[in-house]
Amino acid sequence: MIDIKNVSHLYGKDLALKDINLSIKKGEFISLNGESGSGKSTLLSILSTLLKPTSGELGFDGINYQDINNIDLFRQKNIGFIFQFHYLINYLTVKENIQIANEKATEAEINEILSLLNIYDMVNKFPNEISGGQRQRVAIARALINKPKVIFADEPTGNLDSKNSQNVFDIFRGLALGGTSVVVATHDKYLALQSDKIYEVKDGRIL
Amino acid sequence: MYQSIKALKANRLKTLLIYLSLTFSISAIFLITSISNGVISMYSSILKSDGDIIVTQARISDTFFSNVDINIISKINEIHNVKKTSAIIVGATPIEHLPIVAVYGVSNNRFENYSLLSGIYPKSNEVLIGNSLRESLQNKDFIAIANKKFKVSGTFESDIGFENGGIVLNIEDAGMIFNKSASMIMINTAIEADTNKIIENVKLLSEDIEVKSTTSFVENYNQFKIIKISANVISVVAFCMGLLGVISIMSLTIHQRQSEFGIKRAIGIPMRRIVLQIIQESSVLGLFSFVSAFFISNIILYFIKNSTLLQGYVNGELTLSLTLYIFITTMLMVTVGAVLPALNASKTDPVILIQGSKI
Repeated sequence: MIDIKNVSHLYGKDLALKDINLSIKKGEFISLNGESGSGKSTLLSILSTLLKPTSGELGFDGINYQDINNIDLFRQKNIGFIFQFHYLINYLTVKENIQIANEKATEAEINEILSLLNIYDMVNKFPNEISGGQRQRVAIARALINKPKVIFADEPTGNLDSKNSQNVFDIFRGLALGGTSVVVATHDKYLALQSDKIYEVKDGRIL
Repeated sequence: MYQSIKALKANRLKTLLIYLSLTFSISAIFLITSISNGVISMYSSILKSDGDIIVTQARISDTFFSNVDINIISKINEIHNVKKTSAIIVGATPIEHLPIVAVYGVSNNRFENYSLLSGIYPKSNEVLIGNSLRESLQNKDFIAIANKKFKVSGTFESDIGFENGGIVLNIEDAGMIFNKSASMIMINTAIEADTNKIIENVKLLSEDIEVKSTTSFVENYNQFKIIKISANVISVVAFCMGLLGVISIMSLTIHQRQSEFGIKRAIGIPMRRIVLQIIQESSVLGLFSFVSAFFISNIILYFIKNSTLLQGYVNGELTLSLTLYIFITTMLMVTVGAVLPALNASKTDPVILIQGSKI
């Protein structure tokens, strides 16, 4: 589904990634594991179209990223994001935060996702009225509302305790089983072991 | 729109600051424009009453210095289609504690323009005083002008603030005070008259006079031009202050809400929708500020109008067209002011969300 060939990236003169080749298949659960500064987040940004690489080729379902006219629409339809911090909008309710990603989402669709993530009761609450684990699940719900083909998660358990972290990975596993590809950047080796594949990133290279 | 209002409520302090900045700016525009319009309107009303044509001294910088021979009236009256001719001396004098009071020396046929509240129209050595001036005077029976004592013959009321706070006396007495024959002569013509033809005929009577239609006179009067330019300059300054207020505080808000716009960009919300949201937020504030400024300005204008200190000389005129003009100006201010912060917000790089940009 996603293929990258010989991707390199520079920040000024600093080399962040060098000659990365990677392939992500439908329903695959992949971990990018590495220390802070290893380049895994840069790789995630490039894979998710947030960052344009300095060189190399990227393809999504056989289409080169450079040939995509409307990258916003492409991201909206195909990609879901989960970050270390939930980035929920404080002045909007849980429901409204999810609707931001898809204004046309029906009540039933929102309720279905919230029920799946076990936070249905939080629908009308504001982010500051729910726990950290619940906020991260709302962020996951926001990422899922468009039924994306691939989910990118950057240190999604960085602010969670071990129980909530495991819950998040269980959700990812369920998504992958349902056919959604999941790519997680994490430095937690124990959690990374639960994915189908682990790519070890060090000094901008995949080992 | 709903989301914009919620965003404004969530950022209360900055919303309040923008609201106050806008309200002050719009109120300043309202006040300066309406007051200058009011001043122009008051003086124009005096000129336009009984006057289709105005005769002043030629080659003078201002009507205040104008001196026209009043005897020319008899010759003007002989011109075909001239219905009525009146003369007026416009001057100013200190009276009691008041530093400046308008004085109108008028020909007898202009007295009827002043609606009597009490007493009679003035004879020689008598004056008629405006209602608002009467309230300010300690001695309401006699007043002194240029060391000469005048008996107060009555009180009149006028919608024109300059008149209501002034003194009216016969033109001969005023002539002796101000040492002139007449400041200007007003000609009232018949409805079917060709004004331009009458103007040409009056011009032939003397080389020392300037003759204009009242409309042309008002449009080209230097004092009005100065007042209008001054008001416009102050309005532009107020506009810029409001604009800068919107830009600077909005930019601060946008910076604070960077993660909000970052996540929106990451999940594929188009830039134009983010721009639209910011402009909507700014427009909502503009609307509220406009309504507030409208009411504040009306309250201030009411107090100005009724202030004895100002003798009714400062009288704002807030017309529907002026209100509409300021509304459009306000919406322009908030839209232009929001564009730059909105564009910045829409360009938020979502990569900053990934590990707080520590990639």
